[in-house]
Amino acid sequence: MVTILWGGLGSFIAIVAFATLLETPRKHLFHAGITGAVGGFVYLISMACNKDVVISSFFSALAISFTSHIFARVFKAPVTIFLIAGILPTVPGAGMYRIVYYIIAGNNAMSSYYFIQTLEIAGMIALAVFIVDSVFKITVKKKQ
Amino acid sequence: MEKDYKLIMRTAIRAGEVMLKSGAETHRVEDTMCYILRTAGTETVEANVTMTGIMATLNHPDMEPVTEIKRVQERGTNLNRVMEVNDISRKYCAGEISIEEAYSRICKIKGKQYSVSVYNLATMFVPIGFAMLFGGGAKETLTSAVAGLVLAGIITIGKRIHLKSFILNVVSAFGIAITAILFTKLLPGVDHNIVIVSGIMPLVPGVAITNAIRDTLEENYISGAARILEAFVTAAAVALGAGIGLSCMQAIGGGLW
Repeated sequence: MVTILWGGLGSFIAIVAFATLLETPRKHLFHAGITGAVGGFVYLISMACNKDVVISSFFSALAISFTSHIFARVFKAPVTIFLIAGILPTVPGAGMYRIVYYIIAGNNAMSSYYFIQTLEIAGMIALAVFIVDSVFKITVKKKQ
Repeated sequence: MEKDYKLIMRTAIRAGEVMLKSGAETHRVEDTMCYILRTAGTETVEANVTMTGIMATLNHPDMEPVTEIKRVQERGTNLNRVMEVNDISRKYCAGEISIEEAYSRICKIKGKQYSVSVYNLATMFVPIGFAMLFGGGAKETLTSAVAGLVLAGIITIGKRIHLKSFILNVVSAFGIAITAILFTKLLPGVDHNIVIVSGIMPLVPGVAITNAIRDTLEENYISGAARILEAFVTAAAVALGAGIGLSCMQAIGGGLW
């Protein structure tokens, strides 16, 4: 439990810092950090339960895009502002690095392992973002 | 009332250019431009945006068609500018501000809102946060902070001498790998893999992948494919730098890989 809280705090720090690098508006830095922390938290809890990176990424991306959509409506800002920074702990940037790194190191087995994993994670994130997008579009249409 | 088609076109192109330079998805750029162009009330309104350029056209039976092409060279991420353009176009389309005001406001949008020192501080805190998230303890977190400091220094110098981003990524990853291995020697028990992966997080193409996914899902396949390629090239640069750094340290120290 301590490691999960520690990790959640870590993703908050990382995302606030990253949001700064992406020039997120100052008043939304904290909100982007919350989005990231929610994502990191869900990811770590899911990892502790089932040890599967791909499924954990899916749940994490689902939580992040849901939070970003809520924040976008509450603070009247585009979803991208919260989503791009918030989803970074889940996005397989490091996986991408490992693919190329193992190609350079001449370890083809590890490289293709990470290649498949990165593709799966990217697909899962796409699915999660897509699901939440569609759900929010439906509710907006109903209100009109 | 005769509308100033050329000004509307200029506003739309300018808005699209700022958004594309700031790393918005092509779908959002096309959307915003079409909203602005539609206020001209012409029969034909087209906007075609790819990662490297913008094309837009207005046409009506009683006028000469207005077409503009804009090539966009530089690309970065600046969410603040995306938000401001979004805001201005929304106000203009709702009729709250005139086209002249919208155009001058879009032209006045500022570049960076944070100073270099804040930027460097953030570069240092990204590895700290990720080291914590990736299961590193106090030692790894501390080492990642040093790696972040090295990274911030390299990026600041690299930007001052206008290095290409590919070379800058190689050099930065090289510096992080060297720092990580050095600290493994100095502080026994530090997991250098955690430090390296956390250290390269500010360089790694997370934003490019996210945008690639979103563009592809919006069926903007050209931009989606271009962004995936961008992500791979960035990852290759980072891995190359880290690989060179690790090999160098292995050649000097031996047996650490």
